[in-house]
Amino acid sequence: MKDAALEARFQLEVGRGEDAFRLEAELALDRGVLVLFGPSGSGKSLTVQALAGLVRPVRGHIRLGSRTLFDSDARTHVPAHDRRIGYVPQNHGLFPFCDVSANVAFGLPRRDRRRDHPRVRALLEELKLEHLAHARPATLSGGERQRVALARALAVEPALLLLDEPFASIDADGRAEVRDVLRATLERHGTPAVFVTHDRDEAASLGRRIVRFERGRTLPAAPPTVLGARRRVRLRGRAGERTAGDAPGRSVVRLEGVELELPDDLAADLDGALELDLDARHGDAPEDEPA
Amino acid sequence: MHALAAAPTDDAFPVWLSLRVAFTAMLFVTPIGILLARLQAHARYPGRAFVDALILLPLVLPPSVIGWYLAVGLGTRGTIGAWLERWFDVRLIWTPAGAAVAAGTVALPLLVKTAQAALEAVPRDLERVGQSLGLGPLALFFRVSLPSAWPGIAVGLILAFARAIGEFGATLMFAGNTPGRTNTMPLEIYAAFQAGEDDRAFLYVMLLTSISLGVVFFATVLAGRRRSA
Repeated sequence: MKDAALEARFQLEVGRGEDAFRLEAELALDRGVLVLFGPSGSGKSLTVQALAGLVRPVRGHIRLGSRTLFDSDARTHVPAHDRRIGYVPQNHGLFPFCDVSANVAFGLPRRDRRRDHPRVRALLEELKLEHLAHARPATLSGGERQRVALARALAVEPALLLLDEPFASIDADGRAEVRDVLRATLERHGTPAVFVTHDRDEAASLGRRIVRFERGRTLPAAPPTVLGARRRVRLRGRAGERTAGDAPGRSVVRLEGVELELPDDLAADLDGALELDLDARHGDAPEDEPA
Repeated sequence: MHALAAAPTDDAFPVWLSLRVAFTAMLFVTPIGILLARLQAHARYPGRAFVDALILLPLVLPPSVIGWYLAVGLGTRGTIGAWLERWFDVRLIWTPAGAAVAAGTVALPLLVKTAQAALEAVPRDLERVGQSLGLGPLALFFRVSLPSAWPGIAVGLILAFARAIGEFGATLMFAGNTPGRTNTMPLEIYAAFQAGEDDRAFLYVMLLTSISLGVVFFATVLAGRRRSA
């Protein structure tokens, strides 16, 4: 999976009838997770289906590593079953007519297609599904289904993994845990992934690289504004809703997907509620100044 | 009429023949029906609506009309009939095989329509996942679409079988009513009733009713289980 770089630029027909529009998508990923973020109906799901080869773009190209999967000029269109791209749809798409282990083994070549194949067993163990090996998908919880879908996709060692709203069917309480499992699993396998969400927090928590879908095109998310402090405390996040502050001339900006990077000794003192006085400079990164 | 009633045939023969004819019909109706259902469920091609209508035709046409088409097309003087006889020494008209063809023709629409609806109801996501796991079109159909649609297809097979075993009109036109050869239960009921052999008629009426009722009841239970699953 060395040359996993995804590079794609294509146009896609989204929607039908009067609501139809043409989406201009531009995506790139070297490794890790690329997040596609935008409102529903903006073409995110169709974009991942185009990457998987399930939908044919109007024009453009899709390259994965050294392989060209789609090129309208060269009339190349590698069919979905030859792309080695894992696809996990919104409702996980587990095969209801076979049990968990058979679902995981589903994509293996015929001679390896056994429920007790070492790779199947390893994935069941890794995703804590061993005790459910003989369970039917209908009896599983949302989080369990998602793990099965993930194991099934990883069993065929895909060059890229596509996850369409993977947490949509999981209740809010379970999400953080499922998200951690997903992130850790992807890191362990080193499989680059494209991840679709309409949820801001989710987008921020899963990937550093975010592509926003807006008005029929994709935009790279704006790089964060750097706030500098005397002891090099950095606050990363995205500015959201803005309201009036306590005093005249002051504003309060809601931050989303916030991360704090700070020296260890300061971090050790952090407990509960938190307030920072930041000496902010707009624009370039600050110099480290002695306290 | 008297000669027909006195013909050397025991009472069990029509039962055995009807079952054999219906099963033979299903032997060719099953692959053709599922293939047509698959085609109509997903393929988009010019003239698809016309093919749809053509498939439904045996369901609405009078059986005598179907029998006439079969006799003219597959009879000894028909194009296909003459060809079959010349090259394969196969004659369908006035034979049990002809009865199976007649029964299959009227049974086909029931299978196609039911199987088509079942295949159309297979969640697209399952097929998408199957493709992403490396399944080509053929493997996708046999490993994903068919197992997903199976309960619905099974209902279609059962209904088609029930229709095949009860076929009367087209069979009479095409296979005739030769005692000991093509006298299936429905034909036997007609003959016995005409001859005033009410007991014999009643026997076959009861048999056909229970077979059909049992089969359709089973299909209903199967369909119900599918909905609740």
